[in-house]
Amino acid sequence: MTREEILGQLRKAMKESSTEPINWDTVTEDTTIGELGFDSLSILDLIYDVQQTFGIEFEAEELINVNTVSELTEFLEEMLKA
Amino acid sequence: MKRLRHLIEYAAMRVLLVLIDSLSPRGAERLASAIADVWFSAGARRRDIACGNVRRSGIATDEMEVRRIAKHSFRHFAGVITDSLKADKLLTPDTWRDHVELDIPPETMALLQEPEQGLLLISGHLGNWEVAAKVLSFFKPVVGMARDMDNPLTDALMKKRKGSDEFTLTPKHSTDMGRLLTTLKSGKLLALLIDQHAKRRGMMVDFFGSPASTHTSHALLHLITKVPMCFGYCVKTGPMQFKLKAFSPIAATRTGKREDDVRAILEKLTAELEEAIRAYPEQYLWAHRRWRN
Repeated sequence: MTREEILGQLRKAMKESSTEPINWDTVTEDTTIGELGFDSLSILDLIYDVQQTFGIEFEAEELINVNTVSELTEFLEEMLKA
Repeated sequence: MKRLRHLIEYAAMRVLLVLIDSLSPRGAERLASAIADVWFSAGARRRDIACGNVRRSGIATDEMEVRRIAKHSFRHFAGVITDSLKADKLLTPDTWRDHVELDIPPETMALLQEPEQGLLLISGHLGNWEVAAKVLSFFKPVVGMARDMDNPLTDALMKKRKGSDEFTLTPKHSTDMGRLLTTLKSGKLLALLIDQHAKRRGMMVDFFGSPASTHTSHALLHLITKVPMCFGYCVKTGPMQFKLKAFSPIAATRTGKREDDVRAILEKLTAELEEAIRAYPEQYLWAHRRWRN
């Protein structure tokens, strides 16, 4: 899966999981996940959706330093390669 | 004006704490009941909500019985406050067994006694959830969710009184996104209530036959972390006497469909809570607005 494909799937998962009204046209790779309206509760929806979408499982602590859309995409790239 | 109100509330809280500390458990119970009876008579809005909820649950249909359960629920909730305040001083690692009887199956007890094992304990506004958390903190660190009090003075007073034991509180919503996940992965017990209204972000799950917005985070935490999840509650059996009951871990499956997986867990937990409430209807917080739709 290419980076663009991962990013596309990720945006789709984020749209489904986010409960905040977001202008998705303004979302870039540098946008933080917090800026997309996710907090400690709503992030759970996103993690579960990401795991299901990409067919992977990972430990929660692996996400500790993941803050931006770009970092999450890179994290998923690494997971899918492994 | 706000500052003055906070100071008056703070002073009232200090007086209440001194009073409660000076009373015996039975005396504190009587005081709580007297305050609750005034509240029940004067607080028409909450009283009507409580009676309406009892009626809606179908637990009682006869109006006398509806009112009796609602009134006892008010007394019980006042007792939850006074007992929780007394528990800060009365329940210690050496004394809690004099006050609390445990009814916990061996597999759940093994999870509690394993230091590295995280655990999700789900309960409801039944019995005394504060005492439950306090007692469980003698087994492993407990993290509960609560928002800070509106009054910073009383908030600081209560936090100071509570001390730095193994029972801590964390805000419901936080930008620290990995907070709940790391809590569970660090071997702590995360205590959550299943019957809080989740507003628009929740999933509609039947509670006594009527749809109620329910937080999905409880189920998602279990599905993501695979940390064992148990239902439990702590009911009052006498003045500063309690029975803490916990069930075996819930077996949940991942089908790949988030909504189905989450719904299955939430329905199971809600059914467990309903059964417990049917057994102890006077100890449920009926004045809480569980149904808002």
